Amino acid sequence: MPSSDRRKDKAVAARPWWLGAAVFAMGLLWLHGAQGIASTTNFIGLGPAAMIRMVGAGLAILGMLLILQALRGVPFMPQEEEGADAAAPPSRPAFLLALAGIAVPLATIRMLGFPLTAIFAFALVTHAFGSRRTLLDLAIGAVIGAASWYGFSLLGIELGPFLPVAGW
Amino acid sequence: MDVLHQLLGGFAVALQPINLFWALVGCILGTAVGVLPGIGPALTIALLLPVTAQVAPESAFIMFAGILYGALYGGSTTSILLNMPGESGSVMTAIEGSRMARNGRGAAALATAAVGSFVAGTIGTLALTFLAPAIAELAFIFGPEDYFALMILSFTSVAVVMGSSRIRGFTALFCGLALGTIGIDTQTGQSRMVFGTLELLDGVSFTVVLVALFAIGETLYVASRQSRRAAVVYPLSGGAWMTREDWRRSWKPWLRGALIGFPIGSLPAGGTEIPTFLSYTVERRLSARPEEFGHGAIEGVAGPEAANNAAAAGILVPLLTLGLPSTATAAVLLAAFQNYGLQPGPLLFATNPDLLWGLIASLFVGNIILLVLNLPLVGIWVRLLLIPRPYIYGGIVVFALVGVWGLSTSWMDLLLMCGLGLIGYVARVYDFPIAPALIGLILGPQAEIQLRRALAVSQGDWSVLVGTPIAASFLVIAVLVFFLPMIMTKFRGAVQQESKA
Amino acid sequence: MRKRSFLTGILALAFSAGIAAAEPAKVLIPANPGGGWDGAGRETMAAFNKSGVFTDGVSFTNKGGAAGTIGLAEFVRTAQGDDNALLVTGVIMVGGIISNKTPVSLADTTPLVRMTNEYNAIAVPADSDIKTPQDFLAALKEDPGALSVGGGSAGGVDHILLALLAKEAGAPVDKINFVSFSGGEILASLGGGKIKAAISGASEFRDFAASGRIRIIAVTGPARVEGLDVPTLKETGIPIEIGNWRGFVGAPGLSAEGRKTWLDRFQKLHESDAWKATLKTHGWEDAYLPGDDFVAFLKSEDARWTTALKEVGILK
Repeated sequence: MPSSDRRKDKAVAARPWWLGAAVFAMGLLWLHGAQGIASTTNFIGLGPAAMIRMVGAGLAILGMLLILQALRGVPFMPQEEEGADAAAPPSRPAFLLALAGIAVPLATIRMLGFPLTAIFAFALVTHAFGSRRTLLDLAIGAVIGAASWYGFSLLGIELGPFLPVAGW
Repeated sequence: MDVLHQLLGGFAVALQPINLFWALVGCILGTAVGVLPGIGPALTIALLLPVTAQVAPESAFIMFAGILYGALYGGSTTSILLNMPGESGSVMTAIEGSRMARNGRGAAALATAAVGSFVAGTIGTLALTFLAPAIAELAFIFGPEDYFALMILSFTSVAVVMGSSRIRGFTALFCGLALGTIGIDTQTGQSRMVFGTLELLDGVSFTVVLVALFAIGETLYVASRQSRRAAVVYPLSGGAWMTREDWRRSWKPWLRGALIGFPIGSLPAGGTEIPTFLSYTVERRLSARPEEFGHGAIEGVAGPEAANNAAAAGILVPLLTLGLPSTATAAVLLAAFQNYGLQPGPLLFATNPDLLWGLIASLFVGNIILLVLNLPLVGIWVRLLLIPRPYIYGGIVVFALVGVWGLSTSWMDLLLMCGLGLIGYVARVYDFPIAPALIGLILGPQAEIQLRRALAVSQGDWSVLVGTPIAASFLVIAVLVFFLPMIMTKFRGAVQQESKA
Repeated sequence: MRKRSFLTGILALAFSAGIAAAEPAKVLIPANPGGGWDGAGRETMAAFNKSGVFTDGVSFTNKGGAAGTIGLAEFVRTAQGDDNALLVTGVIMVGGIISNKTPVSLADTTPLVRMTNEYNAIAVPADSDIKTPQDFLAALKEDPGALSVGGGSAGGVDHILLALLAKEAGAPVDKINFVSFSGGEILASLGGGKIKAAISGASEFRDFAASGRIRIIAVTGPARVEGLDVPTLKETGIPIEIGNWRGFVGAPGLSAEGRKTWLDRFQKLHESDAWKATLKTHGWEDAYLPGDDFVAFLKSEDARWTTALKEVGILK
C-alpha cells in the first residue's frame, strides 16, 4: 500500500504488540463468559452462548495475528487527520487536558448537574486545544450548557436537575 | 389513472396553506434534531404525539413526514462537517464526507448529500405511490434465513472494502460484534456478558458507542497531535459548489443508492443501515477512482445519502399498506395513527383516502421544502468550520454529553463513553478503521437473531440457511464479493505477465 | 425571530403538562420515551388533568432499562417518603424483578393501584389447520418443538402464556419452541407462514386480522374483546387468564395520609369520563384494583411468575 509506505518513512516503526495482546485477552474474556451461560436454558436450534463463543474465538485469533504483525514490524501508523500532524510527537499535557474534560462529568454530573458539568468540560477541552482565555471559555460554556439544558427540557428530554446538591 | 387522480387530490390537501406551514415546521424541527446525536425522528415524533390532540390528522402527519425526512438531511450535515454522525444511517456518509470537508470541499459534499437526498427521496416516494402494494408482498416472502443471508452479504462486502488491512478491519468488526452480544438475550432471556451490572442488561447503547468512537476519540486524537502550524482556513470560495465534474460523478450513485435503499427499506427487518453499507461498497467497487475512497470520494457521499433517504420512504410501505411498523420511527407513527382512531393498512386506502394521499403528497412537498431550505444553508453550515478550533471541539464534547446523558441520565453510559472514547483514540493512533465496529454492533445482534430464528423454526436443521432461492443467491453473491477481488488480481497478474512475455 | 417564537409556542403548548403549579406530582417512568409504560404514565396523568381530579401539574422522568428494574431501583433510592412521587409499574416489572434477581422489589414501595390491562391473543396464519384453542393444545402435545410460536421477549407475558398452555396440554414445558420478535416483524412472519402461531397483544392482531392474512383463535382476558368474534380461553375450558397490566406505586415510606389522598384521586379518576375516553382511544381494558387488593394481587403475580419462569428455564 503506497500511503502506508509513505508514512513508514516519516515515523519510526512502532511495535504495539500489546494491542494484539489486549484483543487476545478480550477474546479470552468472551470465551470465558460463554462458559457461564452454556447449555443451561431451554432452546431449539442455536443457544445463547454460541455467538459469544464465536466472537471470542474470532477475537483471540485476530489478537494473535496482530501480535505476529507487530513483532514482524508491520507499521501501525497514526491516521492523518485535519489539523492533526500525524508525525508530530503526541502532546501529553494536551491529551490529558482533553481526557480530563471528557472524564470530569463522571465526577460532577450527579452532584452538580448538567449545566455546571458542561462548563467544566467545555473549558477543559478548549484549554486542551490551546485556548488561554479562561473567563471567556467559562462564559461560553455556561451559555451552551444552560441553553441546552433549558432547550431540551422544553423538548421533554430530561437532562437531570439543574443543580442536584441544592435540590433544584 | 386512478392513482394519479388520487395523488392530485392528495396535493390539494398537502398544498393548503395551513398544511404547508406544518410541513415547514416539521422540516425545520427534523433538521434540528437530525443534527444532534442520539435524538432522532422516532424520539421527536414520540415527544410531539400530544399535538395530535389539538391538530387535524392531515396536518399532524404532514408535520411528522417533514420530521422524518428533515432528520435525514440534518444527520448528514454533522457527519460531513464534524465527522460526527448523529444517526446510524449516516455513519457511511461521515467516512468520505468528512474527508471532503477537510479538503475544503465541504460545500460540495453537503450539496451532493442534499440533492441526492432529494432525488432518492422523490424516487422512493414515487415508488411508494405506485408500487407499494406489490412491494409490500415482499414482507411475507422474506423469512429469517433470507434476512440472515442479506446481513452476511453486508458483513462481507463491508469487511472487504474497509480499512488499510483486513486483519485490522476484522478486528474492528469483531470488537463491534462483541459489544453487540452484551445484554439480555431476547431468545432465551439469559443475561450475557453484563459483568453483574443492571445497566448493561439492555445492551450497550448504539448512541454511546457512536458518540464515543467518533466524537470523543477524534477530540482526544486531534488534541494530542495538533500541528504547530497555524490552523488551515478552508478555501470557501474556490470550488465551494458542486462542479460539473461533481454532478457527473454523483448522479449514478444517487440512482443506484435509491435502487438499493427503497426495496431493503421496505422490508420489515430492513432498516436504513444495510442499504447505506451496501451502497458504499457498491460505489467503491464501481468507481473509476477507487484510490480516492478514504480520501474524500464524492461517490461515497452521494450513494449512501441517497440510499438512506430512499430507505426512509421504503419504511412507509409496510406501515401504510399492511400496518406493520418496521422501525422505531414507524412504530411511533403507528401510535400517532391510533391516537386518531385510525389503523394503517389496506383498509385505510379505502376509508381515509384524503389523509393517506395527503400524506404521500406531503412527502413530495417536504422533499422540495427541504431542498430549498438546505441548499442555501450549505454556505452557512460550512461557515461553522470557521469557528476557532477550541470552540468547535468544546462544543462537540458538550453535545456528546447531551446525547449520552439525555438518553437515560445514566452514569454507566458516561463511563462507557469515556472508555470507548479512549479506544477510539487508540484506534486512530494505530490506524484501525472505526466503521466496521459500528457495523458489527448494529448488524451483529440482528444477524444472530435471524440465524437463531431460522434454526428454531427448522428445529436445528442448518440446510434451511440455503433453503430459499433468495437466501441462496445472497450467499452466493457474498462469496463472490469475498473472493472475486483476489481472483481478479491473480487473473490480471497473469494477463500482464503474458503480455510482458 | 418570529418563526422561532412561534415554534417555542407550539412546543410549550405540546408540553404544557410539564409546567408545574403548587405541589406537582413527580412521575418516574421506568422506560424510554415512546413505549407502553411511557404512554400509560403520560396519558394517565393527562386524564387526571382533563378530568379535573388532580390539576397541580406533573413532572416526568424517564429511566428505562432492564424491564423497568433500573427505574425501580432509582425510585426506591430517591423517593423515600415523598408523598408526591409515583412510579409506573406493570407485569413486565414483576417478571424483571424475578429474573434479574434485583436487590429491590415492589414490596419496597407502597403499591397503590392497578389501572389498565391489555389482554393477549393467539393467532395463526389464515390457512392454518389450527382452528380452535383445543387444536392448538393438541398440536403442542403432539410435538411442542414443531409448533414454532412467535412472541415478544423471552420471559415476557407471551412466553409465560405459551408455557402455561403447554402445561395445560400436558406437554413438556422445556421443549416449547418460542421464537422472540420485536416490532411488526412478527405479523409479517405469521402472515407469511414462517412461524406456525404467534402470541401478542389483542389490539395488535385485531386490525391485521381484518386483512385476512391471519386468524385469531383466542383471547386471554376474562371477557371477549370488543369487536372481535373470538372466544376467551376460559370459555373454551382452558382456565388461563393473563394480560399485560399496568398500574402505579407510591414512594417507600409513603405516609398513610398520602396513600389515602392518592387512592381517592385514582378512584375519582376511574369514575371520570375523561378516563373512559382515554381507555377507549388506546384500546386498554379497565382493570381498576386499588389498595390492599392490589397488594394481594402483586403477591399472587409474584408467585405465579416465579413458577412459570422456572419452568421455561429462565430462572434456575
